Amino acid sequence: MNAAPTPTRKYDLSFARYVYQNIDGGDRMAKCMQCGTCSGSCPLGDQMDYGPRKLFMMIRAGMKEAVLTSNTIWNCVSCYNCVVRCPRKVPVTYILHDLATLAVKEGYEQAKTAINARFAKAFWWSAARWGRTDERLVTAIYYFSFGLSQGMKMSLANLKIAQAMVKTKRMHLGMPHKIKNGGDLKAILAKAAEIQARDH
Amino acid sequence: MSERKTGVYLCSGCGIGEAVDMEKVAKVATAEYKAPHCVTHGVLCGDEGVAAIKGDLEAGTVNQVVVGACSPRVMADRFAFDNVVVLRANLREMVAWSHPAGDEDTLALAEDQIRMAMSQTTRVKMPEPFLEGEFSTRIMVVGGGFAGLSAAREAARAGHEVLLIERSDKLGGQALGWSKRMPHRPPYRDIADNDTAALAAAVQADRAISVRLGRTVAKTSGMPGKFVVELSDGVTETVGAIVLATGWRPYDPTKLGHLGYGASPDVVTNVQMEALLATGKVTRKSDGKAPKAVVFAQCAGSRDPDHLPYCSSVCCGTTLKQAIQLIEADPEVMAYVVYEEMRTPGTAEEFYRVAQEKGVIFVKGKVKSVGGDLKVTVADALLGEDTELEGVDMVVLATGMVPNSTMHDVAYENNEYAQVQVNDDIDHGSPIKVAGYKGEAPAAAAAQAKNCVPAGAPILNLQYRQGPHIPMLADGFNDSHYICFPYETRRTGIYACGPVRRPMDMGETAEDAAGAVMKAIQVVRSVAEGKAVHPRVGDLSFPRINLNACTKCKRCTVECPFGAIDENEKEYPEVNPTRCRRCGTCMGACPVRTISFDNYSVEMISQMIKAVKVPDEFSGKPRIAILACENDAYPAIDMAGLNRTNYSAHVRVVPVRCLGSVSLLNVSDALSAGYDGVILMGCKSGDDYQCHFVKGSAMAQERMSKVGETLKSMMLETERVAVMEISIAESHKIGTQIDQFVQVIEKIGFNPFKGF
Amino acid sequence: MTSEGLRSQTILVVGGGIGGMTTAVEAAEAGYDVILLEKSATLGGRVAQLSRYFPKLCHPTCGLEINFQRIKKNRRIKVMTMTSVAGVEGTRGDYSVTVTTTPRHVKANCTACGDCGRAAESMVPSPFNYGMDTVKAAYLPHEMAFPQFYVVDPSVVGTPEGEKIAAACKIGAVDLAAKPETFQLTVGAIVWATGWQPYDPAKITTYGHGRVPNVITNVEMERLAAHDGPTHGKILRPSDGKEPKKVALIQCAGSRDNNHLAYCSRICCLASMKHAAYLREQYADAEVDIYYIDIRAHDKLEAFYRKIKADPQVNWIKSKPSRIEVAEDGGPMVCGENTLTREIYAKSYDLVVLATGMQSSVKAGAPAAEMDDYGFVVPHDGSAGIGSAGVASGPLDVSMTVQSATAAALRAIQAVSGVRNASEVS
Repeated sequence: MNAAPTPTRKYDLSFARYVYQNIDGGDRMAKCMQCGTCSGSCPLGDQMDYGPRKLFMMIRAGMKEAVLTSNTIWNCVSCYNCVVRCPRKVPVTYILHDLATLAVKEGYEQAKTAINARFAKAFWWSAARWGRTDERLVTAIYYFSFGLSQGMKMSLANLKIAQAMVKTKRMHLGMPHKIKNGGDLKAILAKAAEIQARDH
Repeated sequence: MSERKTGVYLCSGCGIGEAVDMEKVAKVATAEYKAPHCVTHGVLCGDEGVAAIKGDLEAGTVNQVVVGACSPRVMADRFAFDNVVVLRANLREMVAWSHPAGDEDTLALAEDQIRMAMSQTTRVKMPEPFLEGEFSTRIMVVGGGFAGLSAAREAARAGHEVLLIERSDKLGGQALGWSKRMPHRPPYRDIADNDTAALAAAVQADRAISVRLGRTVAKTSGMPGKFVVELSDGVTETVGAIVLATGWRPYDPTKLGHLGYGASPDVVTNVQMEALLATGKVTRKSDGKAPKAVVFAQCAGSRDPDHLPYCSSVCCGTTLKQAIQLIEADPEVMAYVVYEEMRTPGTAEEFYRVAQEKGVIFVKGKVKSVGGDLKVTVADALLGEDTELEGVDMVVLATGMVPNSTMHDVAYENNEYAQVQVNDDIDHGSPIKVAGYKGEAPAAAAAQAKNCVPAGAPILNLQYRQGPHIPMLADGFNDSHYICFPYETRRTGIYACGPVRRPMDMGETAEDAAGAVMKAIQVVRSVAEGKAVHPRVGDLSFPRINLNACTKCKRCTVECPFGAIDENEKEYPEVNPTRCRRCGTCMGACPVRTISFDNYSVEMISQMIKAVKVPDEFSGKPRIAILACENDAYPAIDMAGLNRTNYSAHVRVVPVRCLGSVSLLNVSDALSAGYDGVILMGCKSGDDYQCHFVKGSAMAQERMSKVGETLKSMMLETERVAVMEISIAESHKIGTQIDQFVQVIEKIGFNPFKGF
Repeated sequence: MTSEGLRSQTILVVGGGIGGMTTAVEAAEAGYDVILLEKSATLGGRVAQLSRYFPKLCHPTCGLEINFQRIKKNRRIKVMTMTSVAGVEGTRGDYSVTVTTTPRHVKANCTACGDCGRAAESMVPSPFNYGMDTVKAAYLPHEMAFPQFYVVDPSVVGTPEGEKIAAACKIGAVDLAAKPETFQLTVGAIVWATGWQPYDPAKITTYGHGRVPNVITNVEMERLAAHDGPTHGKILRPSDGKEPKKVALIQCAGSRDNNHLAYCSRICCLASMKHAAYLREQYADAEVDIYYIDIRAHDKLEAFYRKIKADPQVNWIKSKPSRIEVAEDGGPMVCGENTLTREIYAKSYDLVVLATGMQSSVKAGAPAAEMDDYGFVVPHDGSAGIGSAGVASGPLDVSMTVQSATAAALRAIQAVSGVRNASEVS
């Protein structure tokens, strides 16, 4: 599924224009002057393959594939350092998250296999279902998304921590706690999905 | 003046009375110089003290005044009396504040300060200003483009008649053909209408402005207030001042083959793009189609030592404007700006943001090549790779500005005199001054060619001894490069404005035109009263030459920094007083003392030097004369006193207008008088010179390089004469420098001429 | 409108820095009466606090001396220090301006003999050195101070020390009882030449000025380099007086930033290059890193850029640093992304200089003139009675300030002499 156009040459602006018009905060991305404040402010800056600044330049350069397969869009932890510091007030966080959504929509492999994509999926599953993140289930779903044997391996590696957490009541066994009025949450999420479907 | 009645007024305040015996100081005036009137006051600058002087002047007991108190740099307003000569003896900063109280050397210094002032009382006079003939207040503006139109209008609005000369057959210049102009008013976002046509119409309609189209200046002679201008049509006009507004031309794009110019008809310059935009429809020359993808290549020629070494300033803004116009006309257009540094200084930053909002794409890097198929290869700095831009319909080269400081298209062979003095404001080749390098020092870049007069005929064709051109800086722009005084021209009464002075946009040009007109108005009004303009504002004196003694050596005509002295048909020097800025460089140049001012001459300096009582060699006290530039060195010595810095009391400081006014004769006079050493203190010369008379310090350096011969002929050591370059901010060093020189002299020993 | 309709032909220039002084002398030297108002104790403004100018690396005091002499010798110029404008009423040719003076506690018969300063004991932060050192409570603001009058700090008024200071003056020039005064001026035209203030670095919290040791501003650097500054011209880091050998110069500290100053302050790039020159002139082994977004060496100043660029010990890092932290050695550590190499850096320095921008000194609403959203007074042609000069009109360097101030003088002259309207010329 191709939501966004795929440029055939460098600096074909079709993808950039799609981002400007369709990605949350994308219109303000146009004002990026490539100063580097965002990438330098990012606590995960050195673990991103490009960092937001370069990613924005790549969007302009029409490098859709590289952008949507980058780990940058998955590694944002929403600390908002970049957003408050950006001298051009570009909402970097929104843009990265919405680009991640686009990567999912377009079915990029990285959107399924990137570790943060996996984690995000597990996180969402728990949050949407229970209204909370259940540490045990989120971790389990995340670990086992790598396959059974890998999941077992990862679980065992962290067993001691899990036990300590249970002991100190940081993690509980049994049914996940639910929020009150779970139905309301469902309604909210349904409405959000409806808005998203309409706007995109 | 009838009989000279000198009143000597001494001040014992501010520590002077504690430092020296005032009675002994007064005795110098009364006993040695027979001053008829000498009083000492506790606070001479106070109302009472000043009233006492005024009373004596009004009573007629006194008609010239010597004030022995603080430095002449202060209280000038207190000790100013209409039409009365006031001589100042600096007893405070240079005596009481810089030397030990009660010391005999301090007293000797104070006495000599009085002697130096008294020595002038028999000769000095109120200068008689040059007021011969009629003075025109009309202002000629050369160039009818945006700068010239702005200047003409500003001058007319200030009540002056204007003569506007335009070479082409219509007003408006290059700007007339432009579609729009950059934002120049708040909120600094909106592309503005080009108002050049309206401005041209207003100028045409203005009765105070006489417009001459299709004319150039054939010849300009005379001087401020009295310029005689012969136009190309043979008509002769008289004007008081000239504003040079000849503007610029785009850099020759045929030299930009490496950026694809000529490779395709669709590679155009920003000026050509402006013309296309003005038509309302931008199309490709090759096929008449509207371009959908346009690349703007910045710094096409500019910031390139092989082309234009400077930044043309306006190209970034122009490109932003053009790119926005293209997108506004067709939102589908893809506009790319390939830039190295985006230069939108000041409030123009907002315009950069506007361009980004509109979707202009900025690619930091350098265009490496443009193919005939318009494939643009960019060394893309941010992607870190060479990027090929394909499918480009048009390439716009942001060519830079070349100043029209000559009529470049009119062949002209510079004769010997036409070789304009070109002073490098910055030597592009020299590295900055550093304490050292960690490793090897970098090889200095190839030095810029000096004295490179741009080809072409002179704009004004000045009939000056020093050539027909308006002096230019190394990059071809006209004066001035001063920071504090950007209109400090080397051709008095002629003020450049607009892009012929510095690359600038229309907004800045309008301001610059007003500034140049301000100076033009000031000069016509000042010279009509016989007054000098900046920096010796209001000085009524001017050089007078005793032709009987003149040897026609021509040094004065060659060395005048302002081209004020011409040679007549008999090869005698001829002063044009209103061109003169009163620095006295001519006076210092003259080997036979034929040039003097009413209130400043080689004799006066020598008289001051000789007035000092030089002790004999048995006293063990050397005497050293310091000839100090009044703008830098003298204030620095003054401020050393203000900071209570002690230095040798064996020096005697004589202020001079400029080190350029110091004659070798002053030096030999000092040595003949028994001084043991002489220091010439002036400002920094050479590249980045700081002399406000352009080259006084350099002149002194050059002249003093020849002082060795004089010293040798007198059988004296060359170390006895030193030139020191002192900046005004070196008050903390100057005491030590003086002391070190005194030590050198003490080591060499006394001047054997002492006592002769 | 002709001059007959104008009640006053006097030009009021507000601000006695290089811009205001220029407007004043240029107008006065063309034959107009000028009142030059200055809020502080001396003329000279910001440039008096600079060590040197770019690109010639010459001293501002050289030009100040000329301007001061021009003012001293010109009877048409009336200088009023410690005075500021409280309100403006009226129209071109007839403005009534309310001004207030703050007490200097020293009268105009002061001879600058220094007796009061010697009598003073307590020390106060030196305004001239941005509080980087102290001066006696009775002080001459600096060695070039014009008018050359002492100032008695209000902190000693009403104290025995104050009495002692007053008693030390042999001519009774110390006036401890002086009170603020308000009075009216009638003028025909007004030029705002109020200049600028350095942007408050404390507002850029990520850069740690005041929190991280040895993070200073560009204006503080000027004082460190000046012979009459707190270190007598030797550049030393404030925390321990150590010679700085690794120095970072950070551009756009506040400027080009929608969270701070949205405009570019124009001068900072060149000023920082000058700071690199100061450092390299003093230290053979100094390494200077210049952090920048775009280097804006417009027009002929490009040559200065090229000169500094030729020094292998000056490095250029295209990056707006994200933050400055305290390094392990207690000094500043600059963090960010090098946009050309994609390197995420955290580099320790001996000294970090923030190129803080210029902020208009005009207080909103005061000038009765058209102002832009940034606080600059929009310049006008001579048909308006109120204009602006220098940095009051926008971020300018010294040369451009003088250019603008000379233009403003002409507009003021046009205003007071009655500009011919378009109707009169057709």
